[in-house]
Amino acid sequence: MSSLKPRERDAVVQALRAGVVPKLGLRHLQVGRAREIEELVKDMDRIADGGAAIRFVIGEYGSGKTFFLNLIRLVALEKGLVVMFADLAPDRRIHATGGQARSLYAEMARNLSTRTKPDGGALPSVVERFVSQAQRDAEASERSVADVIRERLAHFEELTGGFDFAEVVRRYWEGHEAGDETLKSAALRWLRGEFTTRTDARKALGVRTIVDDASVYDHLKLMSAFVREAGYKGLLVGLDEMVNLFKLSSSQARNANYEQILRILNDVLQGSAAHLGFLMGGTPEFLMNTRRGLYSYEALQSRLAENSFARDGLVDLSGPVIRLASLTPEDLFVLLSNIRAVMQDEATALPDEALEAFMHHCSDRIGEAYFRTPRNTVTAFVNLLAVLQQNPGVQWTELVESIEIAADQGDDLSDIDESVGALAPSEELVSFRL
Amino acid sequence: MTNAFDRLARPIQKWVRAQGWRELRDIQARAIHMVRDGDADLIIAATTAGGKTEAAFLPLISAVLDEPSSSPGFDLLYVGPLKALITDQARRLDDICREAELPVVPWHGDVGASIKSRALKAPRGILLITPESLEALFIRRGLEIARLFASTRAVVIDELHSVLDNARGIQMRSLLTRLELAAKRRIRRIGLSATLGDMALARGYLRPDSPQDVAILEARGGSAELQLQVRGYVRSDDGPPAADAIARHLFDHLRGSDNLVFAGSRQSVEIYADRLRALCEAAHLPQEFYPHHASLSREHRDFVERRLQAGNLPTTAVCTSTLELGIDIGDVTCVAQIGAPFSVASLRQRLGRSGRRAGQPAILRQYALEAQLAANSSFADRLRLGLVRAVAMIELLLEGWCEPPQREALHLSTLVHQILSVIAEKGGIRAPQLHHILCVEGPFRKVDTAIFLEVLRAIGHPETGLIEQASDGILLLGQTGERLVEHYSFYAVFQTPEEFRLISDGRELGTIPIDNVLVPGMLLIFSGRRWQVLEIHDRDRVILVAPATAGVPPVFGGDPGMIHDRVVERMFIVLEEVHRPIYLDAAANDLLDEARAAYRQLSFENGRIAHLGEDAFVLATRRGTVATTTLALALRSVGYTVQSYDGFLEVFGKQTTPPLTSALSEFAEGREPELFDETANLRFEKFHPYLTDQLLERDALSARVDGRALAPLSRELLGREL
Repeated sequence: MSSLKPRERDAVVQALRAGVVPKLGLRHLQVGRAREIEELVKDMDRIADGGAAIRFVIGEYGSGKTFFLNLIRLVALEKGLVVMFADLAPDRRIHATGGQARSLYAEMARNLSTRTKPDGGALPSVVERFVSQAQRDAEASERSVADVIRERLAHFEELTGGFDFAEVVRRYWEGHEAGDETLKSAALRWLRGEFTTRTDARKALGVRTIVDDASVYDHLKLMSAFVREAGYKGLLVGLDEMVNLFKLSSSQARNANYEQILRILNDVLQGSAAHLGFLMGGTPEFLMNTRRGLYSYEALQSRLAENSFARDGLVDLSGPVIRLASLTPEDLFVLLSNIRAVMQDEATALPDEALEAFMHHCSDRIGEAYFRTPRNTVTAFVNLLAVLQQNPGVQWTELVESIEIAADQGDDLSDIDESVGALAPSEELVSFRL
Repeated sequence: MTNAFDRLARPIQKWVRAQGWRELRDIQARAIHMVRDGDADLIIAATTAGGKTEAAFLPLISAVLDEPSSSPGFDLLYVGPLKALITDQARRLDDICREAELPVVPWHGDVGASIKSRALKAPRGILLITPESLEALFIRRGLEIARLFASTRAVVIDELHSVLDNARGIQMRSLLTRLELAAKRRIRRIGLSATLGDMALARGYLRPDSPQDVAILEARGGSAELQLQVRGYVRSDDGPPAADAIARHLFDHLRGSDNLVFAGSRQSVEIYADRLRALCEAAHLPQEFYPHHASLSREHRDFVERRLQAGNLPTTAVCTSTLELGIDIGDVTCVAQIGAPFSVASLRQRLGRSGRRAGQPAILRQYALEAQLAANSSFADRLRLGLVRAVAMIELLLEGWCEPPQREALHLSTLVHQILSVIAEKGGIRAPQLHHILCVEGPFRKVDTAIFLEVLRAIGHPETGLIEQASDGILLLGQTGERLVEHYSFYAVFQTPEEFRLISDGRELGTIPIDNVLVPGMLLIFSGRRWQVLEIHDRDRVILVAPATAGVPPVFGGDPGMIHDRVVERMFIVLEEVHRPIYLDAAANDLLDEARAAYRQLSFENGRIAHLGEDAFVLATRRGTVATTTLALALRSVGYTVQSYDGFLEVFGKQTTPPLTSALSEFAEGREPELFDETANLRFEKFHPYLTDQLLERDALSARVDGRALAPLSRELLGREL
C-alpha cells in the first residue's frame, strides 16, 4: 500500500469524524467487498472501451454505500473517465417541472471531476482541453480552428439538443479567440446548467434552448460524447441518496422519476448509450418497496428483479443491482486497524486488544446492527483515537466503557433536530412504529 | 415626543398628505409610535372603518423603506380570511406603496399564475394571502418557505376576532408557528381586530407563549352609532305568509341603497330573493335584490360582489354566511338578519359591514319569525326561543362580549390536517419532530403524547392509509394521504357542514344540517313534525327516523349550532326580567310578553324541572349547547327520549325508565353514564372520518360534550347545594 500523504491523512480524519465519506485516501481504509469492487472495476473498463453500465448500489443507512461509490469514483478517475457525482435531495431530482432536475444537473456539473482535478470544478479544463486539442489539430492540418471544431462536433447535431450544445462550445471558442471572458464564462454557465431562462441564454449566447428539467438525461449523453471528443475515455454519472425519490409525496412525481430511470436503464442495457455509466446509491426500501419504491414501477421491477438462484450465500454480481453485504466482525476489525494506521504512528498505536474491547462494547450497546452500519462505529472510534492522541496521559481502558454510540437512523431534518434535541423527546415518540 | 407623522417615511408622508387628512387618527398616531419603537406583538382594535389597516401598515411600510432588507424575501405578510378582502386591501396598499415602489402581491386562488411566479422569483414587498393559500405554499413549495420569508418583519392578521378558535384559526396558528420554525426566528405578529369585551383572549391567541407581552391598542371612544330594531312576525296558517310581510318590509326599507340580508339557510335565501324580485317586477322597478350563497355559480357571486363594490347601483345581497367575513364591499347602509344568529361573534361580524363611513350609523334590522300559537302549542313555541335568543345576543353584543375560545378542545381533525401538511412540506418527518412542531411549538398543546401517537396509528392504519412509515422511522404520506394532499380542496381545513338525509320507512324526508351530537333515542324536529332517531349512519350521512308520538312538536325546533353558556344565561335573564328593550317593535314586544308569561306558567320559579304531563318534563338547564347535549346524552343512556332546545331539555320517560329525580341524583353523585352509543354521529369535521371511534369520543368530549359538567348540572337541577 502506498504511503499516506499528510494532506490525505487530514482529509480522511476530518471526514470520518464528521461521519461522512472522505474523497481522498479511500484505499487506505477499504476492507472487504472485494468481489463487488472487482465487478465494478470491470464496468469501468467496459465504459472506457465504449460500452455502458448501470448499477444500483443498495445498502442500509450507514452500510457504506457512499464509501463504496466514492471508491468506484476514484477507480473511474484512474481509468481516465470523467465523473459527475451528486446527491439527490428534495430539491434535486432526476425529473421535475419546477427546476429541481436542472438543479441536480447543475450540481453534477459543478462536481465534474477528472484525474487531474479530482475534487470537482473540472468542467472548464475539459472544455479548455477540447479547444486546445482542436487548435493543435488545426495547426497540424493547416485548417482554421473553427472548421476543426465544427467538424468534430458535427455528429452532435444528431443528438437531442446537440445543435445548441455544439453552438455553445463554438461560442466558447470565439470567446477564447477574442479574449472575451464574459462570453467564455457564459458558455461555461450554460454547460453547467446555470441558466434558468431561455431569454437570458439567448441574450448571452444566441442559443434558443437551455439545460432544463426535461433535457437532463439528453445533456448527460451529450456530455459523454463531448468528454470523448476532449480525449477522455468516457463519463461516469453517480447519483447518491436515491431514497429521496422514495420520499416524494406525490405519486406522479415519483413515477415520472422512475420513468426517467427506466429510460436510462433501457438505453444502457440495450447498448444504445456509449462511454456512459451510471451508479445509483439507495436503501433497500428505495428499491424494494412495492408501493413507492422502484418496484412500484412495473417495468423496473421486472428488469431489476434479482436472480432467484442467488440466495443462501450464492451471489450473482452481474445484474444491475449490487447489494452491499454487511461487514463481518473480521472486516470491521480490519477497518478499525486501517483507521488506526491512518491516525496513529506505529510507536504509539493502540494494541489489538483495545480494538477488540471497543468492538465488544459497541456490539453490547447496539447489538448486531452495528455490523450492518459502520458509520457510527467508525465515528466513535475516530473520536476515541483523537482524545487519546491529544491527552497523552489517558489510558484507552478508561475511555472505552464510556463511549456513547447509537444505532444509525440516516440523517435529515437537522434544523428541527436541534430544537428537539434540547428537549429530549420521550422514548415513545422516538421509537414510534405504526 | 416627536410627532407621529414625522416618523413615517417620505413617500408615506406624501401619500398621507395627498389623502387630504387633517390629522392622523389617534389610533394611527399611537400605532406609529408603538410599531416604530420596538418589535413587540401588537393588537390594534377599532371599529370597522376605524383606520386599522393604515394604523398597522403606515409605520410597517415606513420601517421597510427606511431600512430596506438586503436579502430577498417578502418584507411583510398579511393574512386575511377572504379573497375579496385581500383584493380590496391590495388595492388600498398598492395606493400607499405606489410612490415607494414597494410591490404589493395579492395571493389567493383567483390570482393569476404570472403574478405568483414573478413574486416567487423575486420575493419582496407585501404579500397578502389567505390561510388556505399559505397552506398551499407550505405544501407545494415547502423547501422555499425559508427563502420566501427570510426577511419578513411582521405578519399582519386581519379580522383576528373572526379566527379566534375555530378550525381555521387553529390552522392559521399552526401555519404561523411553522413559518417561524422555517425562518428560525420569531416574527412579530400584529393583529387587527374589532373591539372585544375581553381583549386578553385575543392576546393569548396571537402569541400563546407570552400573551402578557402582547400590547393592545384600542381606539378610544369613537364608538360608531348603532341603530337597531327587532321586528316580530307571526307565521300564520291562514292569511298571508309571514315571509311575504318580511319581504315587503325589506322591500320598502332597503330599496335604493346597498344592503346585506342574512337569511340563514340557502333555501330561505332563495325564498326571500325570489319574493323581493317579484316585488320589484310588480312595481316596474329595476332589479336590485340578488341571492348570494355557496351553491350559486362563481360568475353570479362575482357579479353580486362587484355590483356591491362598485356602489353606483343600489344593490341588496340576500345571503347566507358567505358574505359574513370582512369583504370590503364599500359601504352598506343596513344589515338585516332573518332569524336569530348562532353566535355573538358572527352577529358582530355581520353588523361590521354597515356604518363603515364616518358619520353614518351602523343599522341592524333583526326579523324574528315565530309560530302562531294554538291551544296545544309546544312550550318551545310559547317561549319564543328564537326572539329571546336574538334579544339576548343583541344585549351581549352591546356589552362588547364575544364567545371565548374553547381552551380544552383537542381539534383532532385539524391536527390530522396539519400532520399531512407538515409531512408534505418536509417530504417526510419522524414522530418526535412532528410532535414538537405541532404539539409543543404549535397550537395542539392539549394533545398529549399518547393521544398524538394514537392519532398517528389511526391514520396510519393500512385501511385508512393517510400515512405510512419507512423502515428508518420516517413518516410519509400513504396512498390515500397522497391523493388527498394532491387535490386543491385539501388546503381548506374547514368545510361547510354536510347535511344529513332523513329517512323514514324508506322514504326520504329531506336534508338537515346537524352540528351537535345525536344518538338513537333522541328527538328532532323536521317540517313541523317530531321524529325519533332510530339509527345514524355517520359515514353515509343518513339518519333513520320514525315519527315520534311524544308530546306536541313545536313549529320551529332545535336549530343546529353551538350556543354558548353565556348566551343561554342571558336568555333566561331576558325571560325573567320585566324590562322591555327599546329596540323591539310592537309585535316583537307582544311576542316577548307572551314568552315571559309562558315562562312563568311553566312554574320554573321554585325548581328547574317542570311537568308537562305524565312522564314528560321540561328541564331548564340554563346552559349552552355543550352542557345541555351532555345531559341529553346521559338521560338517553338510561332510557329517556330527549329533545334539546336552547337551555331547555324536553324529556319523555317510559314505564321502564327510572324516575327522573333518581336518575339525576345518580349523575349528581358522580356516576358516569355511557354517553355515546356505537352509532352516535361524531364525525363533524373534515378529517374526522379517518379517526377511530375512541379518538372521536375524546374529541367530542373536549369540544361538543363536557362530561365534567354533568354532575354539577344535575345537582343544580335537583336544587342541591353545589
